[in-house]
Amino acid sequence: MKYARVYFDDLEVGDELPPLVKGPIQQIQLTRYAGASGDFNPIHQDDEFARAAGMGGVFAHGMLSMGFVGQAVTDWSGAGTVRKLGVRFAALVRLKDVVTCRGRVVGKSSKVDLNLVELEVWAENQRAEKIVTGRATVALPSRS
Amino acid sequence: MTIQINKSLIGKEYPPYAVTVERGKIKEFARAIGDANPLYLDDRVGAASEWGDVIAPPTFAITLRDENADTAAFLRELGTDISRILHGEQEFEIFRPIQPGQTYLCRAKVVDIYEKTGRSGPMAFVVRETTIADGSNEIVATVRGVTVVRL
Repeated sequence: MKYARVYFDDLEVGDELPPLVKGPIQQIQLTRYAGASGDFNPIHQDDEFARAAGMGGVFAHGMLSMGFVGQAVTDWSGAGTVRKLGVRFAALVRLKDVVTCRGRVVGKSSKVDLNLVELEVWAENQRAEKIVTGRATVALPSRS
Repeated sequence: MTIQINKSLIGKEYPPYAVTVERGKIKEFARAIGDANPLYLDDRVGAASEWGDVIAPPTFAITLRDENADTAAFLRELGTDISRILHGEQEFEIFRPIQPGQTYLCRAKVVDIYEKTGRSGPMAFVVRETTIADGSNEIVATVRGVTVVRL
């Protein structure tokens, strides 16, 4: 049932996305994300550097958490449907953290050939602290 | 000890740069996130889709960097260094997914710099925007990022 088609007509404000659980975060994933994204800031790789910078140790790229949120949206709405994705990074993600991404429908609108659904999206850690908060807009097909 | 941020960078536009997106980079990026969506990873699924090829995940545009730009030099010009910066906010507006084999022209600009004092002390917020255009000069995405500098 993963990647089932979601139709604009079937959605209502308040509907929730299936939660996406990622992690526990391991150093190897941060190293892999650095290579894939080109962001080699040592603060995500080198514990000594991160401590000296006053950050208390390495933490995950914000963009990795945003990637998780993007996946939570597209697992539900389909790849290629995202028109807008915007987030604020609210707290750091540390090694061993488990990140759960969530979202819900907050609005629907239709223009000529375009059915847009507005989502509130967020991600939280295992202590239910929000690490990312934001909004997304997806364009969805209609049944008619 | 606080540092002084160079606000004269507000409005600065950087030379446009071209990036050709490689198929393998899209897949590497999706896998690094742990996103196994076949529309990102499977060429046959991509070919059979409305896009005619695989597409990139929504946050992939963050990887379209100027290979000739020197991040350390930018931070020095700003008056800081890499140990003081954090990612505050990020937004992607996507008009069309990024696809492999295409060459995109990117234009980056500093749109704002402002200071605020938060829970952890004084901070500067540097807002940058990059527009990404395809080979026919259609804008496919705009990318807006806020970098936080701990002063």
